[in-house]
Amino acid sequence: MPTSFIPTAADLLRLSPDIVLTAGGALMMVIEPLTGAARKARMAAIAVLLIAAAMALSVMAYSDPGTSFSGMLVVDGFSTFFRILVYGCGLLTVLMSVDYFKRERGSESGEYYALIVFSLVGQSLMASANELVLLFIGLEISSIAGYIMAGYLRDDKRNNESALKYFLLGSFATAFMLYGVAWIYGLTGSTNLDTVRRAILGGAMEQSGQMLMIATALMFVGFAFKISAAPFHVWAPDVYQGAPAPVAAFLSAGAKAAAFAMLVRVAASAFFPLSAKWEMLLWATALATMIVGNFAALRQSNIKRMLAYSSVAHAGYILVAVTAHSEVGIAAVMFYLASYVLMTIGVFAVVTLVASKGERFVEIDDFSGLVQRQPMLAIALTIFLFSLIGIPLTGGFFAKFYVFKAALDSNLTWLTILGLLNSAAAAFYYLRVLVVMYMKPAAEGAGPVDPAGIGIKAAIVASAVGTLYLGVYPSAVLDFAGKAAQLVK
Amino acid sequence: MLDTMFFYMFALLAVAGAILTITMRSAVHCAISLIASLAGVAGLYLLQKAEFLFAVQLVLYIGGIMVLFLFVIMLVNLDSAAKERQFHRRWAGGAVAAVLAGASALWLLSKGAPSFGSPVAQAAPSPDGNVEQLADLLFRQYLVPFELASLLLLVAIVGSVLMAKKRTS
Amino acid sequence: MTLFSDRLLDIVLFLPAIGFIIGLLLPRDNNELVRRYTLAFSLLVFIVSLGLIGTVTANPGGSSFVTDEVWIEYPSIRYHVALDGLSLWLVILSTLLTPICVLISWKYIQKRCKEFYAFLLLLECGVIGVFVSLDLFLFYVFWEVSLVPMYFLIGIWGHEKRIYAAVKFFLYTLTGSLLMLAAIIWLYNKSGTFDLLLLTDMIQKGRLALSSGESFWLFLAFFFAFAIKVPLFPLHTWLPDAHGEAPTAGSVMLASVMLKMGTYAIVRVCLPLFPEASREAAPYIITLSIIGIIYGALVAMVQPNMKRLVAYSSVSHLGFVVLGIFTFTQAGIDGAVYQMLNHGVSTGALFILVGYLYERRHSLEIADFGGVSTPAPWLSTIFVITTLASVGLPLLNNFVGEFLVLQAAMQVNILYAVFASLGVILSAVYMLWMVQRTFYGDTPDAVRHHVTDMTGREWAAMIPLLILMVWMGIGTQSFLPPIRANNQKTLEMVQPQAPAVAATASPAETTGEVRHAH
Repeated sequence: MPTSFIPTAADLLRLSPDIVLTAGGALMMVIEPLTGAARKARMAAIAVLLIAAAMALSVMAYSDPGTSFSGMLVVDGFSTFFRILVYGCGLLTVLMSVDYFKRERGSESGEYYALIVFSLVGQSLMASANELVLLFIGLEISSIAGYIMAGYLRDDKRNNESALKYFLLGSFATAFMLYGVAWIYGLTGSTNLDTVRRAILGGAMEQSGQMLMIATALMFVGFAFKISAAPFHVWAPDVYQGAPAPVAAFLSAGAKAAAFAMLVRVAASAFFPLSAKWEMLLWATALATMIVGNFAALRQSNIKRMLAYSSVAHAGYILVAVTAHSEVGIAAVMFYLASYVLMTIGVFAVVTLVASKGERFVEIDDFSGLVQRQPMLAIALTIFLFSLIGIPLTGGFFAKFYVFKAALDSNLTWLTILGLLNSAAAAFYYLRVLVVMYMKPAAEGAGPVDPAGIGIKAAIVASAVGTLYLGVYPSAVLDFAGKAAQLVK
Repeated sequence: MLDTMFFYMFALLAVAGAILTITMRSAVHCAISLIASLAGVAGLYLLQKAEFLFAVQLVLYIGGIMVLFLFVIMLVNLDSAAKERQFHRRWAGGAVAAVLAGASALWLLSKGAPSFGSPVAQAAPSPDGNVEQLADLLFRQYLVPFELASLLLLVAIVGSVLMAKKRTS
Repeated sequence: MTLFSDRLLDIVLFLPAIGFIIGLLLPRDNNELVRRYTLAFSLLVFIVSLGLIGTVTANPGGSSFVTDEVWIEYPSIRYHVALDGLSLWLVILSTLLTPICVLISWKYIQKRCKEFYAFLLLLECGVIGVFVSLDLFLFYVFWEVSLVPMYFLIGIWGHEKRIYAAVKFFLYTLTGSLLMLAAIIWLYNKSGTFDLLLLTDMIQKGRLALSSGESFWLFLAFFFAFAIKVPLFPLHTWLPDAHGEAPTAGSVMLASVMLKMGTYAIVRVCLPLFPEASREAAPYIITLSIIGIIYGALVAMVQPNMKRLVAYSSVSHLGFVVLGIFTFTQAGIDGAVYQMLNHGVSTGALFILVGYLYERRHSLEIADFGGVSTPAPWLSTIFVITTLASVGLPLLNNFVGEFLVLQAAMQVNILYAVFASLGVILSAVYMLWMVQRTFYGDTPDAVRHHVTDMTGREWAAMIPLLILMVWMGIGTQSFLPPIRANNQKTLEMVQPQAPAVAATASPAETTGEVRHAH
């Protein structure tokens, strides 16, 4: 416990990305009403600068890893990886949102960007918290910002439905998690992950094993909701379908990555001694999530809904690596999420463009003949879809490869085989999009796709380049992930 | 002995208030029952020697939030809601869930203290008193979550303002 | 200059990929430019690839043009490519067929030309990659990469049911290859390497001990992926659809090159890595391949559609190849590999000729033709020659392969040979019957008006194949020595460890020995 109330410089440096984002976001709220309607686009530029600064600071903070604020927060390879990942996701979301609100309701919106920034604070806390209380606060900040963003277009019925569903079910799930945290505190006398781990190793397991299992199960419900694992995935399709497309991208990429960071951190530190008991539960959840996601996606005709189910399925693949509870598994989770974020943002960015004003064109059939109408857009979407299928030379392939390699390392042979068969089945619904895009003529009513703004173009190009980079030269990211995974203890 | 008596009194207040909250027809009555229930919980805090929580419970929940609730209820016309059925058909399912939860709680209780484990940090009551200890914890160890909770509230306020703003169309 | 000649294989492998990228940058609306560019480029690749032959034939049984560099540090994935007697002719076949495919698509493909030719070059890169990779991971990457352009070739430029056929093709192959991926990872976790030569060495020397159950399942996972591609009965159902719907060039590449990926991989991967499992499974696999030979022939006989007929004949011919491989005799494997090339040449030629007929009459139904020999005597002559090659007439190419395979089957079990020869007879029946119904008899008016004789470009595409049919039939010695040298090595690996009791050593004994050595 620090003797002084004044935090040390190291403490501040380790928290600095969050401090900058919080202060910057608050500042944005102040300038927002003072900016004229024509100049609202500046808010996006401010958000980009803030996020870039946060990225730079988190890299700087990594030069001096360690815990800060009396073990509240930990800066290590793992948290730095996820900080940069969620910031990157936020950055791409900001880029793809430029012009979206102008298109949808005639004016840009400053609060939206501030909400993204706030949400990033929450997600970054989820990645770096070493404390269940801080973890919960981070989760709530990110979630509440998410609820608001999902219903941002208030005049749109689908937006309202999406936000309400997300809010009600999300609050319910976080309540479960909070309840679990309370139990853990009662059983071990601490909410610090390291202390909890020591308490479990030091006899809490023998004394109150059943209650500990109940507590972890309660927390798992909360996690499972946030990563949209079956059977807590039912919100995902409705929310992603109803929310504005850029928001759906943000929720299914960044929020999910942060939730996985949280799950992995807790499972690999505090509850690591229980991993043998978790295995069955994770095994079944992973399998159920893959199956539910893929087979529901097969039947969708709305592309946003299909992508929602596909994101459920991807959560299942990642859970396979979590089930392996090994360092290789953690590295695989990290690599998977990196490539997943890129391809998801990319695919939603393309959907945002094709959907046009009012998101009219979101049926899969609306993509027919895209390769003739918009060849570059079609090529980008092809890259993302191949990555989602897991075709070599895209990031998605190596991601799947590492996940299943980690699973086989841990002798999860059946889970691997079932997972691979699942990803073969998944190819079918991604192929449907490719089929209409390449092999069907453009529909009569399909108008020309609006010219893309510079922001969304940049987002698509960056995601595509990133996806291919991870597919051809995965070593850099994987090496970092491998090193970072060793630190989680 | 007196402690036990007070415990049952407050517990009864809390439970009865909660039951009334969901069974009363008028929204105002519901809110008042909820106040009673919260007051019962506050009493339980006091019995546990958590004076600060007791005070917070009274000032914030009963004094602040609930009174705000009552204002809202009185300002907004909720008469139509009073005429509606109080329960869904699904109440049976809810009852089963409640009974199961109660049974599991009883089972754990029946196993006695060991099943709850022995909290590692069983701090002895400090001579400084409860409030000082809490302040120490909040402003030293839990400084970051404490400060960030304000960000959480800020985001929530932004959200409610956005939702309440005039519609554009 | 040495750098150039050392790196010749890398150049042949990546030249098509470069061509693919340049092709994408060409203007959209100038079809003539795109065609000429692709023809010139693929001819360039072919000519460069001819430079490979000398070195490999001078070094039979060894690897030439080896490049072995790190691609990914951890897990250790290497860019390891090399050429030997087994892969040499398959690479040359691929580079030869690509310009031919450009020629035959000249008039046939009118819409979205640029993409078509770009995909053709990408496909060439993928299949060459499969034939030269010696790192299992790299092999898998090329295996999948070759899938993508073929999917588009069928799906965009095919006939009416093209989308169904393309998706079916993709999903069948993907399912198989994902199981193969699981097996590859398993092997890596056991051994720490993806390198095929290293793995083979470890298994041969007993440094990598796989339990017989493990080895069986791994063999099965690999074999399943390869058998889908071959395709072996009963996994062949995607083939008639894919061929029936694909554009001519797609059918040619599919039949002549892509199916060979499966049989090639069996020889390259399955036999050396899992010798015991291969031997144990051989009787069942041979049975399936004989069923395939006869079933394919019988179904081909009743096909009203020419392309589907040729497709089913492929099922039958590829059955011979698998049969030859699993006899584990020198003659059998030599014949099988030779038969892969033969099938590539003659079935490719058949698909091209059927494509010519389709371009004239816009139908593939045999019933829509008849008496074609009257308006198009040259076309008919070539068709008959190709048919005779395909049914295995002596002095033409298929005869050599089929003869070697049957001879080997005879050595192993006379029954195999009997049933397999039944397939040969049946193939003569259905092919000649089709020729008779199509080219002879009365000439309907539609045929008389629409069917014209061969054009210069069509000749240009067919002549190299005709030359090869004859050359491979009589000049066997130009092609067979490197194949034989390489197969000898493979056979040594598959044979049980104790040479004295080579033919009869029980598998249990051998596994025991390996364990002791370990």
